[in-house]
Amino acid sequence: MADENTDVIQGTLDMLILKTLSLEPMHGFGITRRMEQVSRGVFKINPGSLLTALQRLERAGWLDSEWKQTENSRRAKFYALTRAGKKQLEQETADWARRASAVARLLKAEA
Amino acid sequence: MALLRSLVHGIRNLLRRTDRERDVAEEVEQYFQEAVSYQMERGMTAEEARRNTRMEAGTMSKAREQANSYGWENAVSTFFSDLRFAARQLAKHRAFTLTATLTLAIGIGANAAIFTAIDSILLAPLPYNHPDRLAVLATRYSNSGFTIQRVTGPDGLDMREQAKSLQAVSLMTGGEEGVQLRDHATYTEVTWVDENFAHVFNLQPIAGRLFADAESHRSALVNEQFARNNFGSAQAALGQTVHIENEAIEIVGVLPGGFHYPRKTEVWEAFSLLPESKSRTAFNYRAVALLRNGVSFQTAQAELGGISQRLQAAYPKDNRRKQIMVLPMAEALTGPARPTLMLLWATVGMILLIACVNVTHLQLVRAMERQREIAIRKALGSSRWQVMRPVILESLLLAMLGCAAGILLAIPAVHMLVAMAPDELPRAHEIHLNGWVLVFTVTLAVLTSLVSSILPAMRAAKVNAADAMKQDASRGMGRKGAATLRDGLVVAEVAATFVLAVAAGLLLRTMFTLMTNDLGFQTRQMLVVDADNPAHSEDDYRRMLQQFDEIFANLKAVPGVEHVAGVMGLPMGPYGSNGNYTARGGLPMNPDHAPSAIFSIASPGYFQTMGIPMLRGRDFNAQDTYDNPFVVVISESAARQSFGNIDPIGKQIHCGLDSDNWMMVIGVVGDIRQDSPAEKPGPALYMPMAQHPYHANQIHIVLRTQVKPLTLMNTVQAKIMQTNSQIAMSFTTMDALVNESITTERFRAVLISAFAGAGLLLAMLGVYGTMAYTVAQRTFEIGLRMAFGANRAIILRGILRHAARLACIGIAVGLVLSLALARLVTAMLVGVRPMDPVSLGAASLLLLLTAIVAAAAPGLKATRVNPLSALRAE
Repeated sequence: MADENTDVIQGTLDMLILKTLSLEPMHGFGITRRMEQVSRGVFKINPGSLLTALQRLERAGWLDSEWKQTENSRRAKFYALTRAGKKQLEQETADWARRASAVARLLKAEA
Repeated sequence: MALLRSLVHGIRNLLRRTDRERDVAEEVEQYFQEAVSYQMERGMTAEEARRNTRMEAGTMSKAREQANSYGWENAVSTFFSDLRFAARQLAKHRAFTLTATLTLAIGIGANAAIFTAIDSILLAPLPYNHPDRLAVLATRYSNSGFTIQRVTGPDGLDMREQAKSLQAVSLMTGGEEGVQLRDHATYTEVTWVDENFAHVFNLQPIAGRLFADAESHRSALVNEQFARNNFGSAQAALGQTVHIENEAIEIVGVLPGGFHYPRKTEVWEAFSLLPESKSRTAFNYRAVALLRNGVSFQTAQAELGGISQRLQAAYPKDNRRKQIMVLPMAEALTGPARPTLMLLWATVGMILLIACVNVTHLQLVRAMERQREIAIRKALGSSRWQVMRPVILESLLLAMLGCAAGILLAIPAVHMLVAMAPDELPRAHEIHLNGWVLVFTVTLAVLTSLVSSILPAMRAAKVNAADAMKQDASRGMGRKGAATLRDGLVVAEVAATFVLAVAAGLLLRTMFTLMTNDLGFQTRQMLVVDADNPAHSEDDYRRMLQQFDEIFANLKAVPGVEHVAGVMGLPMGPYGSNGNYTARGGLPMNPDHAPSAIFSIASPGYFQTMGIPMLRGRDFNAQDTYDNPFVVVISESAARQSFGNIDPIGKQIHCGLDSDNWMMVIGVVGDIRQDSPAEKPGPALYMPMAQHPYHANQIHIVLRTQVKPLTLMNTVQAKIMQTNSQIAMSFTTMDALVNESITTERFRAVLISAFAGAGLLLAMLGVYGTMAYTVAQRTFEIGLRMAFGANRAIILRGILRHAARLACIGIAVGLVLSLALARLVTAMLVGVRPMDPVSLGAASLLLLLTAIVAAAAPGLKATRVNPLSALRAE
């Protein structure tokens, strides 16, 4: 288990965060938990990288943040997608799909 | 947009740094709490949940650090914290900071001051309209290369009429003149200019109008300054009549106050576009021109070259080898000052070099002191850049301090420079500090700091943690490389200072040579009155001569006055004439090369008054009048030149000054230096005032006094006014005139000596610093040697010998440099050769002594080392 690579694929963390937040606003740990669940534990997120990425996305104008109460009534910083963020997500998704299918074709051809 | 947002976020974070950090800390903590409670929800105990979270997510502090390090503002804030650290370090090492700042201040201040002068004189555009199209015409003889910034009347006229590349050409002449106003007379620079003058400079009068060609000798322009000083305002000056050379002139226009071309002209009197002088060999006029728009100086020169060729063909005798040149006005104006300014620049460059070396050395010492600190930082994982950064920042900060102090030093230095500037230094009144100078100074400061911190920073980066910890310099186990480097710095410093000292020595010797040169006359106790007696008609001149005779007689009666005489062509004075002459009864004449001499007009008693020895024959007397045979007194050189061993008395001489009469030689007097003490004494012809009245209305009255000359000023003025109140006067002394004639040499000598002194001071500091440091480092070793029986004398001798050896190497290097640079100053030397052994010897001795004196204090300190305490120190 320790040998298995759980790093997020280089360059895709931003897209994954945007995708995760496209469903509903979440706080940091919520994002981690959701991404681990959905990826069935393939990707594990380190909190330092996540918070850095969140700052980056917020500065780019794709996220808004707000301190709110969580369901177990603790204060947490919730992140939500902005309109620009939605557009960015669409663009990155399309881009990813195009490239992933190309990679898949190449791998198939090899096999 | 995104950039702007990032900027806003960054700045907000910078300003509210703790807010951000609190925010991040809170978020991280909350994250971990959520993680732990999530694990617990899945059935773990609190302990297990915490351990599991730590395993998966790492520690909170790591996460905080990572999140906090995001964003450009972090680099800025690291920079500021490093800067704060550097500032604290500087504040802690006060002696170091003070020495380094002062050193830099001297180097940077000197450079800022000289650059200010260079910027204002050589680089700034001339303060006229379209300055890059303004030109000065000059005449050059192609065989000898002799160039004079003047033209003859007909040549100037031909250029104006034929040169298509010149839009306007204006001829002018003039000088200091008496200007008679209604109730008083004033002395100022008057220039006669033609109508084109205003076109060349595109002048717009601030009041009144320009004059037309038809108003020759009737109208004049004055500048605002003159109008204000003499009439109260520009408007009040309009329509006023002044008298210049006994002509009534109406002021028709007033030019802006800042305009005073040429030199310090305040009054421009109209003269005709057709020059009065028709001679093609008399350079009576200066000429300025405006290039047609878009025409280059090369094109204009090519055209003028062609016209010159045609003139040479048309006037083969007068225009032989004569070439008319068109020079950019800025170059013509500032060209003569260029070598002096370049010399000064080279000098301050040298000072800066010495300052750099000193600061480098200081930094090195600092760096060695903190070698252990650096070693520890490296051992803890600091990168090369992180170790170098505080060293570089510290020197940047020092540079800024030095820069500020340097500018503070430069402000009074520039004032002194302007006050000392000789008349020949053009545009001196335009010298001022400005933005460019500040940019130059700051750039210089940053460069200086980089240069002087590179060595120490590189050494810091190279420190090998393990070695540095083991090595202990204070036990005399310092690295050999460090000592060599320090020695090299001292050698460089001594060499640079040596070059400065040699230059100062040469220029000082030149100045003293000039000050002690025998001028051929006595300068002490002599009052000089510049007197302008207006005359125009023949009657005027006759009356003027009588008035001067009366004035001389009256002045002679003044108590304290020994002798009185008048002269046109006073040595060191502004007026004079010269030219070719022919002699009968002497040596055979060379028809191609007529002898030439200085022409002076004098009253009887002139030679006695001046203290010029009468070698043969007699002085002028009252019988040498206009109606009697013309006579001349010649100088020793003239006698030798034209008569050899033949007795000149009674022989005939003819010169083209004003009449065709042959003059009989009646006396021979000693030679004098006419224009400056730097000039060789040469042939001169003296003619009596009474026989040359047309050259005798603007004269110098010289009075040999028994009291301090200037104490008689008011009495003399009153006596002259008594005879004629319309005589414009200005007073000076012969000593002052001689002094003024060598201001350029004095300016150079004093400045270079001051800089050499500063260099010497810095070099002394450098040698002292190095030696003091070496001694401090070697305390243990010295103590050990003394414990084994070395006596104090041996220790002291060793240290002094070390200093002397470094000084000798430095002097040798400096000698080679001086040899290479000598040609820079050759043209500025009088009576000394560039390789003057006295200057070289004095400089060598001075530097050797300086080095030894600077090393003496640390040396003596070394002899007082107590072996016991030195060995116990660690």
